[in-house]
Amino acid sequence: MGLLQGATELFPVSSLGHAVLVPSLLHWSFKQSDPSFVPFLTLLHLGTASALLVLYRRQWVDIVRGFISASLRGRITADNERLAMLLLTGTLPAAILGVFLENRIKAFFASPYEAAGFLIANGLLMLGFEVLRRRAERRDAADAKTRAEVEERFTDAAHISFLAALVVGACQALAFLPGISRSGVTIGGGLLAGLRHEEAARFSFLLATPVILGAGLIEVPQLRSTPGDVLVSYAAAAVLAGLAAYASARFLLRYFRSGRLDPYGWYCVAAGLASLALLRFGL
Amino acid sequence: MRSNALAVALVVVAVICFVLAVLYGLGVLQIAVSDTSSPHHYTHMILFIVLGVASLIGANFTREKTV
Repeated sequence: MGLLQGATELFPVSSLGHAVLVPSLLHWSFKQSDPSFVPFLTLLHLGTASALLVLYRRQWVDIVRGFISASLRGRITADNERLAMLLLTGTLPAAILGVFLENRIKAFFASPYEAAGFLIANGLLMLGFEVLRRRAERRDAADAKTRAEVEERFTDAAHISFLAALVVGACQALAFLPGISRSGVTIGGGLLAGLRHEEAARFSFLLATPVILGAGLIEVPQLRSTPGDVLVSYAAAAVLAGLAAYASARFLLRYFRSGRLDPYGWYCVAAGLASLALLRFGL
Repeated sequence: MRSNALAVALVVVAVICFVLAVLYGLGVLQIAVSDTSSPHHYTHMILFIVLGVASLIGANFTREKTV
């Protein structure tokens, strides 16, 4: 479960959707309503967030410095300051919607059938993002000869508009629906905002770090009531989640230098349809 | 968009956020919480502290600079 969560948290295929679907399909005795689920998920999130912090450790130092200097000065003078303020702008709507809506939405759509349906919707969203992106490429990079040249025509994470950062951040709320991927909608939103694929992935991972870390840290007090031996096995799962998340992020950043969202879109559509069939016919 | 009026409005928003944070932290406010049996709502408290700080930063950005 740790490997599954760590890997799927960053891939645009919905970790929550897989967390609902896989145990149900494989008949694992694992229920999200179980009181031990929250501490378990908390540690997995901390593992994933730690992996992202390690991966972007130098950038986070720059971002924190930029955040402090821009906040005190009341003016943006460097890229790291602009990126810090863009991340703040993108994180606020996700935090507000998360605190007020997340539990209600998750409780409302917790069945494997709904997760499978939303997984199909997630796939269609990914494919839709790429259709719109190809249209933008035909418009803005018609004379580019190679894939790398096409990507060069688009911008980096520090140079999107604040409105785009706000919209991309708010899109994260869609990921409260099991089956809709947080990284998928933020990467797709970043593409629509004019980011290169690799930069859209980087912005998505940077945007996810405070949200995942915050969600994990807030739940830490609940770990106090967890027995020690259980906590050790949960910690092992968290380490696996962290390792899987680190490997996933490294893979995705390399993949998006030339790759697109389409394969993940088709995977989600296929996995959603297959899951619906398996659930319907009890295979 | 620089304006001292907007900066003042953002400071007022920040103060309201900090007051709400205290009320949620003490458990006085039970509005828009998923678990009404809990005496404290630290998640809401942290959110409103963050919103208050963000409002102060916004106020610093929007105020008219003398230099």
